[in-house]
Formats: sequence, structure tokens, C-alpha cells
Amino acid sequence: MADDLDFETGDAGASATFPMQCSALRKNGFVVLKGRPCKIVEMSTSKTGKHGHAKVHLVGIDIFTGKKYEDICPSTHNMDVPNIKRNGLPGKGRCPRLTKIWGAPVSFAEPLPRGGVCWAWLRGPPLALQLIGIQDGYLSLLQDSGDVREDLRLPEGDLGKEIEQKYDCGEEILITVLSAMTEEAAVAIKAMAK
Amino acid sequence: MMAAAVAAGGAPEVIAQLENAAKVLMAPPSMVNNEQRQHAEHIFLSFRKSKSPFAVCKHILETSKVDYVLFQAATAIMEAVVREWILLEKSSIESLRTFLLTYVLQRPNLQKYVREQILLAVAVIVKRGSLDKSIDCKSIFHEVSQLISSGNPTVQTLACSILTALLSEFSSSSKTSNIGLSMEFHGNCKRIFQVHRKIREDTDMAQDSLQCLAQLASLHGPVFPDEGSQVDYLAHFIEGLLNTVNGIEIEDSEAMGISSVFSNLITVFPRNVLTAIPNELFSSFVNCLTHLTCSFGRSAALEEVLDKDDMVYMEAYDKLLESWLTLVQDDKHFHKGFFTQHAVQVFNSYIQCHLAAPDGTRNLTANGVASREEEEISELQEDDRDQFSDQLASVGMLGRIAAEHCIPLLTSLLEDRVTRLHGQLQRHQQQLLASPGSGSIDNKVLDDLYEDIHWLILVTGYLLANDTQGETPLIPPEVMEYSIKHSTEVDINTTLQILGSPGEKASSIPGYNRTDSVIRLLSAILRVSEVESRAIRADLTHLLSPQMGKDIVWFLKRWAKTYLLVDEKLYDQISLPFNTAFGADTEGSQWIVGYLLEKVISNLAVWSSEQDLANDTVQLLVTLVERRERANLVIQCENWWNLAKQFARRSPPLHFLSSSVQRTLMKALVLGGFAHMDTDTKQQYWTEVLQPLQQRFLNVINQENFQQICQEEEVKQEITATLEALCGIAEATQIDNVAILFNFLMDFLTNCIGLMEVYKNTPETVNLIIEVFVEVAHKQICYLGESKAMNLYEACLTLLQVYSKNNLGRQRIDVTAEEDQYQDLLLIMELLTNLLSKEFIDFSDTDEVFRGHEPGQAANRSVSAADVVLYGVNLVLPLMSQDLLKFPSLCNQYYKLITFICEIFPEKIPQLPEDLFKSLMYSLELGMSSMSSEVCQLCLEALTPLAEQCAKAQETDSSLFLATRHFLKMVFDMLVLQKHNTEMTTAAGEAFYTLVCLHQAEYSELVETLLSSQQDPVIYQRLADAFNKLTASSTPPSLDRKQKMAFLKSLEEFMANVGGLLCVK
Repeated sequence: MADDLDFETGDAGASATFPMQCSALRKNGFVVLKGRPCKIVEMSTSKTGKHGHAKVHLVGIDIFTGKKYEDICPSTHNMDVPNIKRNGLPGKGRCPRLTKIWGAPVSFAEPLPRGGVCWAWLRGPPLALQLIGIQDGYLSLLQDSGDVREDLRLPEGDLGKEIEQKYDCGEEILITVLSAMTEEAAVAIKAMAK
Repeated sequence: MMAAAVAAGGAPEVIAQLENAAKVLMAPPSMVNNEQRQHAEHIFLSFRKSKSPFAVCKHILETSKVDYVLFQAATAIMEAVVREWILLEKSSIESLRTFLLTYVLQRPNLQKYVREQILLAVAVIVKRGSLDKSIDCKSIFHEVSQLISSGNPTVQTLACSILTALLSEFSSSSKTSNIGLSMEFHGNCKRIFQVHRKIREDTDMAQDSLQCLAQLASLHGPVFPDEGSQVDYLAHFIEGLLNTVNGIEIEDSEAMGISSVFSNLITVFPRNVLTAIPNELFSSFVNCLTHLTCSFGRSAALEEVLDKDDMVYMEAYDKLLESWLTLVQDDKHFHKGFFTQHAVQVFNSYIQCHLAAPDGTRNLTANGVASREEEEISELQEDDRDQFSDQLASVGMLGRIAAEHCIPLLTSLLEDRVTRLHGQLQRHQQQLLASPGSGSIDNKVLDDLYEDIHWLILVTGYLLANDTQGETPLIPPEVMEYSIKHSTEVDINTTLQILGSPGEKASSIPGYNRTDSVIRLLSAILRVSEVESRAIRADLTHLLSPQMGKDIVWFLKRWAKTYLLVDEKLYDQISLPFNTAFGADTEGSQWIVGYLLEKVISNLAVWSSEQDLANDTVQLLVTLVERRERANLVIQCENWWNLAKQFARRSPPLHFLSSSVQRTLMKALVLGGFAHMDTDTKQQYWTEVLQPLQQRFLNVINQENFQQICQEEEVKQEITATLEALCGIAEATQIDNVAILFNFLMDFLTNCIGLMEVYKNTPETVNLIIEVFVEVAHKQICYLGESKAMNLYEACLTLLQVYSKNNLGRQRIDVTAEEDQYQDLLLIMELLTNLLSKEFIDFSDTDEVFRGHEPGQAANRSVSAADVVLYGVNLVLPLMSQDLLKFPSLCNQYYKLITFICEIFPEKIPQLPEDLFKSLMYSLELGMSSMSSEVCQLCLEALTPLAEQCAKAQETDSSLFLATRHFLKMVFDMLVLQKHNTEMTTAAGEAFYTLVCLHQAEYSELVETLLSSQQDPVIYQRLADAFNKLTASSTPPSLDRKQKMAFLKSLEEFMANVGGLLCVK
């Protein structure tokens, strides 16, 4: 499986989930519990009787709803692991020093400042889209391509209220969008860097 | 307030107040609120601190009816006596002691806890008195002797309690010799045994007398004027003991007491004294010990069946088995074979308790009913081999002593179980074939067999080999002798045949009885292993026991460490069968290596889902390759190369293994690469093992869109697997491979720093990256010469810079956060501590190990360990809030680090930036005032080098100089004014002396201020005298070692006289 990984194509064509033996899961990793994509927050094993086989006890938090799910399964079982994506933007700058170290050009979202420590240039991918409007319970988000997507719901609960409130006050905010298993949702906000 | 009331003679009011407070404390939680409770506690605390409370306490004891108040009065007396000792007249102390003793004697119905507290006060008085010889111990023991002779059981028990209190007070001090027990007193032991027999029905009283006996059983040292008297005493004591134990049916509550008596006798009395008692008596003693051990073992097994909370017999059994180990280990004093029959009995009874019926009695209740429960076992439950390691070590030792009996016994029991297991699995298979999916099979028979085999393997493992840590494990001499003794009767070829055909029944091989018994025992376990392997091939894995699988590889590891490729040079004499079967350059050893490797590979594929089993399996693999001689054989197996290639491809099933197993597997593969092979082969090996790792890693991180895909699960897994593998490679470091591994790892370290940026929002990956650095520093820094160390320092510095940047302004004030969320901080501190460790342990010889790899670079670079570490500390300090110090692991690592820094680079401390300097000093202050005693000790240890540094620098206006002045006051207060742990006196004393040297004027001022605040002229004078005496031997104080030692000695006396005196309110 891992043998056939093709890194050249990135996320294109990646399936929604892939199987993994229960014993190879890790805490903080992801797994599908009761059909829902979850982040594993607890993982422990037990056995019935001294000569029994290991069972894995998993507790996961739904990455979209925050609901808690639990499951117990034999450790030999294969579990589905969701392919999680956060939206990101393609790079704009290049770091000569990193390019030297990694043997290939390394790109960044922001243009590189002159001088300074190289490491300071290298930022993680931007993880958020700019919010430009809220209409009928849907968010309008500016994509890197310049297109606006309007198919994402304003989340329920406190996060939704916070987004609305900040937007109404005229604050410029970024929305982090998470996608997994044909589902997408806004999961966090942050203030836009001035 | 309280002190005033006492002084005013308002005893009745005091009593009323205390009794009310006691009511509050004793009330059910629902009746009183927290505040009331705290207030009541406060009343007692201040009562106990009141000055000279003796009169009022006596009054309380005589009039109050509230037990708790009586208890507190006794405590107050005890504390006050020690505190005000030097202020009290000797005669009033003596009358106080008499009062307390009479008080207890006249009130037989006192609550036990009150009585014991009063007796403890008496014991403390006696102990303190013996220090300055103001109390004659002899007279006390004389009184006690009289009480014991009184003939009244209640009085006698009381005497036992007094004696116990006295003995335990003295046994905990180093001044035991002052106890001055008169020899006539020893006669009393006999009476105590009699007492014990009279009062056994009262459990409480019986425990007192047994405790007293256990204390008496451990008398030693200058108590005995000569060896003769010690022998007499012992003989006398044992006689009393045997009379008692043999004449009674032991109660549950007595088991622990009795085993302590036996254990103390065996541990404390030298062998020559033990053997000097009459032969017959000694034999009876050993017989009695044997009988009790077997009997307690059976009772312990019953306790397990009944799942009792309080395992009194198990504890007693542990104690007796431990005594056996002590007794038989020193065999020079006993003739050969003296213990054999006893060992056989204890060994047999152990085996019997652990085997199922009909051979054994496992899980049988007292009336012979079998009980069996399938309970849920969590991963936290310790494995039997660890939980019962002490028992097993003793039983294994006894098995060696009686090897003639025990080795063949284990062999036949195991061979029998193998045959039955094989048959049972076959029946299951036929059943499955006949009716697939026909519901569940009753596994009772299988589970019983697995449990039998489990214990037999554990005992065999402990019998044939020792637990070793670090040292070369040797074949136990008893086992070697046993094999040598029979080697003339043994047919070597048949022995090899038994060994080499694990698939066949041992008894089907012609001449099977003329084989080496030790090798046959090993081959019995290989037969178990073979049944397991065949069941796997027949798709019966679900019927197998992972526990048994674990036992098998655990045993094989233990065995291989000790026996495989025996090094003849380590032994005077070597068994020919051993040498032929698994010596160097033998077909036998090549065959076994191949067999074990096959087992490892099969296990890793089949049992990847059983974490512990997979872990034990890779540990076996590490054992096979960690010694060069064995590794040379391993790499000749084609399987080894397949394993290496498969792992490098990260394909199933190996990538199903948990991360820790993969890490150890990598370690094993690297270790194997240093076996002897020709250059081409070696090149080929590294091309297949290490290069794919590098290639895959570079492929991932060099993708144009790595930034975007870095969070994708497959990519993260790839990165994680690489980082785990790097840790494994670092773990494989040895002095002869460090050059290659360091260079290989250095390339990665640079890239890892880049990953720190990419994964800065993914804490688990960041932690793993830091862990790689921690491991490299941990395993390699001690071998690195100057220029290589420099490379590592630079890499670490860059890592710290990136880490710092990413953590700037990061809020970490989450009250609900758990310790593991601060893993990164802990790792950073570990990294810094590892880097510092080079100052203590350094094997490098200016890049000697790298010679021939690279020309030595000029080492005139600017980065030093101190710079990196101080930079790191600069980084860590602001992040270490007081809240974080509440986590014990963080707190300990933090203080370990700062103490190291003060000890290694005291000269760098004054140069620190102001903020950093201040927080470092504040940390030390905090550590001394409000942390655990270990932390306090570390801080005190840090003060000495700091003060010495100041003395050297001779700058009286530096901030360090000012800070040390503040510390002088702190240490002064700690020693003089506060209660503190006496273990700390040495560290505090050293720091104190150095600080006094530095700040002599301030010290005099402190003493003056303290003295002038004393209104009581008596106290003033005593204190002044004590201070004068303290510094008399070291005036003027100087940093001279001799003077320092003299000061420390006077400090001890000073503490005894003044310690606590000033705590009075």
C-alpha cells in the first residue's frame, strides 16, 4: 500500500479513507468510528483472561461536531482512517538555503524578505481562507484562485456566533476549513495578519 | 494565644478548648465545615508548639476522657522534650519518663493508639537521653525485664510494646550501639515467646509481641561483646522460636510476623554465627523454615483463588523465599548438598501450586473445587515475570541447587504439556474442518495448558539464567557443573538430534534418555515454540495464547544471552555438550541462530497486533545481533537480508508494528550491519538498509507541494516512520560504529530542523523531532571529539532557535492541561542535560574514532556546550511557569538541569542577561522553600559552586554576590529556625559554610539579631554558647577543606542542641 504512494500527485485522486491495522493507530491520529471521521484522544488495550488476544479501546472526537465516539475491536482488525485535508495556498517565494539543503526548490506563500535568518521565512502553509461575507447561513470565502466559494455553512454553536459577531463588527478574519470523507466544515477562525 | 493560656495556668480552659476541637475533628464531614475543621486543626498545632507544656499535658492525661486529646498531649510532650532538651533539668526529664510509664501501667484499658504514642514518647526520651548519656539505658531495660517477668499477660504485652518502641527508635538511628542491652536481658526472649503463646488469641497483642520478636531477631553490632555471646543469644532465640512455631497452628495474622522473625535472623546474623549453633538445632531451624515456606506458599495460592484484598500469606511467602535466596547464596559455610532436600521440597511445592490438577492444585479452593474466572486484564497489569520476579529468582536458585531433581522434572512436565497441547490443537482443527463456524469452542483445556506452560517456562528461564543488566551474563555454576558431571554418560549425537528436531516428540528419538539434561530442557521449550509455529501455519492463530508466545521469546532471549556462543574464556571448565551444541563455529549454533531468526520473522508478521509480544520478539532480535560473534552468524541467514529489505520498503506486515517496535527493529538492523562481512557485502547491506530511508525521506520533503500535503495522513506517517527509525539508529550506537552513524544522522538532523517549521502546529511531530536530537545527544555525545561535538552543538542551537521562534508568545496557561502536553519542554530540558553530560562522561579522544573517515577540522569555532545550554535555558526558563513546576517530571528535570549548570559553568552565571539571572536565582529560592526535598537538595548543591565562584571573582558588587548574601539568610533560617529533613543537613551544611566564608560580617549580624531577640536569659546563653562552639574550630572561616569538615562536624552537634529550639512560638 504505502509502497505505491505517489507523492507527485499530492491530493488528487486520494480516496476518502484507507485501511490500517488497529494496532498501528496512534493517539492524536485519525480514525473512522461509527462512520464518523474522528481524532483519537484515547487508546488503550486489554484482554479477556491471561491468554486472551488484545483488544483495542478507542475514544475519538468527531472532527466536525466534537461529539465523542468509542469503540472496542480486536487489535488485528483493520480500521478506516479518513484522509483529512486543510485548505492551503500554493507557494509564492523560494528559499535558496532550504533549496540547497533539500536539493530541490522549496516554495512559500509569502515573498521572502531580504537577509535575516532563513528559518524565519519558512512558514507552514496558510491554513485559512478569508471571510468576505455571510449569506443565508452560508459563508463566502475568498479562495487563492480569486474565486469565491459560497457552499460552506456557517457553523452552529459558539464558533458560528463568534464568526457572525466578528464579521458584523467589521473585523477581518480567516476561516480554517477542514475536509474529510466528502464533508467540509469551518472549524476555526483567526484574525487576519495586518 | 495557647501559650498564654498555658502560662496563665488556665488548664481547665485549655482542656475544654482542646476537647471541643477534638469533637469537631472527629465529627462526620457533613456536620462541620472546612473552616471549622481547619480551625480545630490549628488549635492542636499551636498547642503542640506551646512552650514547656509539660504541666498542662500531665494535667490533661490525668483528667481528660477524650482519647484524641490524650493522644495530642502525648505528642506535645514528645515534641517539647526534644525541642527544649537543653533547657530541662535532668531530674525533671526522669520524673516525666517515670510519670508516663506509670501512667500507662495503671491504665490497661487505654486505646491502643494513645498507649503507643505515650510509649513512643518514652522511647524518644530514652533515645535523646542516650545521646548525651544523661539517661542510663540499663535501668530502663531492667524495668522492662521486670515487667516481662511479672507473669501478668497484660503487663507483659505492655512490656513488649515498650521494647518494640525502644528497639525501633534505636534501629532507625546509627547509634544502635548505645542501646547497651545487658546480656541478662537476652534471657527475656524466651519469656516473650511464652508471652506470645499466652496472648495469641488477642490479635492486636499478638502482633505487638511478634513485632518485638522481629526486632530482637535483628539485634547486631556492638550489642554483643564477642562472637560467643552472639552465638549463645542466637541459639537461645532459635530454640524459643522453634518451640513456639512447632507447637501451634499459625493464625493468618501471625504469618507475616513469623516470616519477619525468620528473615531477620537469616539476614542479620553472619553465616559463621548461624553455623556455630548446635547442628541439630540448625537442622531443625532449616526444617521449620522449609515447612513454613511450603505451607505459606499453599495458603498464598488459596488467597489468589479467593481474590482476597489482603494477601498476608503472599507477603509472608515472599519474605521467606527471599530469606532462602540469602541463605543459600553463600554456600561456603555449608557442606555441599546441605540444602538440596529442602530446595527440592520448596521447588516442588512452588511448581505444584502453579500447575492445574491433577499434577498441581492451581485454582483449587481449600475443599478441592476448581474456580476459573475470565477477567478483563488491562495493559497496565504487570506481567507475571515482573510481578513475581523475586519469587521466581528464589525458586530458580533453589532449582539450581537441586538441579539433579529439578531440571529433569521441568523437562518431563514441559514435554508432557507439549504433547497434550499438540493433540488438543489437532482436535480443534479437525472440529473446525468438520463443521466450520460451529460456534465457540470451549477453551478451558487449552487455557489450562497455556497457564501450565506459562509458569514452567518462567521457572525454567529463572533457573537456567540470571537477570543481568549491563554485565556479561554467565551460565550459573550449578548448571554448568550438573552438565559436566553427567557428560560422560551422555551421547552427544543424540543430544544434538533432540535439539535439532523440535518437530518430533523427544521420546520418539532412540536413545533419548542418554542426552544432556540441560539441552533437553531447552529443546523442550523449542518444542513448545514449534507447536506454536505449526498452529500458525495451520491457521489456528486465534486459538493460540499471545501470553505463551511472549513467554517463549522471553525465554529464548534470556537463554541466548547466556548460552549462545559460550565464551570459553569466561569459565574454568566448560561442558562438552554445551560447547558442541552452541559453542563458537559449530553447526549447532548456526542452526539455532537460523531457527531463532525464523521465529522472530514469523512473530513479527503474525503478532504485529500484540504489542508486548512483538516487543519481546524484537528484543530477542537485538540480543542476536548486539554481540559481534552472534551477529556474524545472523547475517549469513538469507532471512536476515529479507527482513532488512522488507523493513526498508515499509510494506505490510512490518509497518503494522507499533512505533516502539519499529524503532527497536531499526536498532537491530543497524547493529547487524556491523557484523563481519566483506566490503562489497557491507556496501550492499547499507545500500539496502540505510539508503532507502534517506531516499524515501528526501523524496517526500523535496516535493514541490510538500507544504500543502504535509498534513496528509500518508505523508505524516512517512515522516513519523523516518523519525522513529532515526531514533532507532541512534539507539544502536556503540563505540565502534559511532563514526558512521553520527555522520549519517547529522545529514538528517539538518533536515529535521526544517521539519520543525513545517510541523510547528503538530505537537506530536515536533516532539518526535526533538526526541531524535535527544537520542543522538544521549547516545553519541560522549564519543564525539571536539569538531564533531561542535557540529552537534550547532545543530542543537539551530533547533532551539526554531523552537524558540515558534513558541514566542505561545500561551501555556491552560489549567486543565495534562502533563503530556508539556512533553516538548521536558524533551528540550532532557536534550540540554544530555549535552551537559559530556562534562561528566567523555570517552572521546579528539575525534579518534573518526580518524580515517574525515580529516579533522580546525576546532576554532565559537559554539560551546555552555553557549548552547545557556541559550536553551534562556529559552526554557520563561516557559517554565510556577504552575508547570507542579508536574513532578518537569520539576525534577528542570532542577536537575539548573543544578548541573551551576556546577559545571559557575563562571557563566554572573554573565547571564539580567532577566535570566533573576529567574534562575528565583528558581533556586523557590526550589529551596517550596518544593520536594530532592529538589531542595539539588538547589543546596547548586549554591556551593556559586558561592565559590564569588569568592574566586572577588567582586563584592556583582549581582551574584548580592544573591548569595540572600541565600545565606535562607540557609541560616532553614538550619536554625525551621524544621527540615535531616538528610539535607550535609548539603545545607556545605552550602552554609561556603556562604559564611563569603559573607562573614552578614553571618555575625544574623547571629546577633537572632540572639538579641531572645528575652529568656537561659535560652540566650545556651544559644550564644552553641553559636560560639559552632564556629570555634573554623575561625576565621576559609575555604579550606579541613576547616570545612570540622565545621560540618560541629554543625551536627549544633543541630542536636539547637535544632527546633527556636521553632517555639
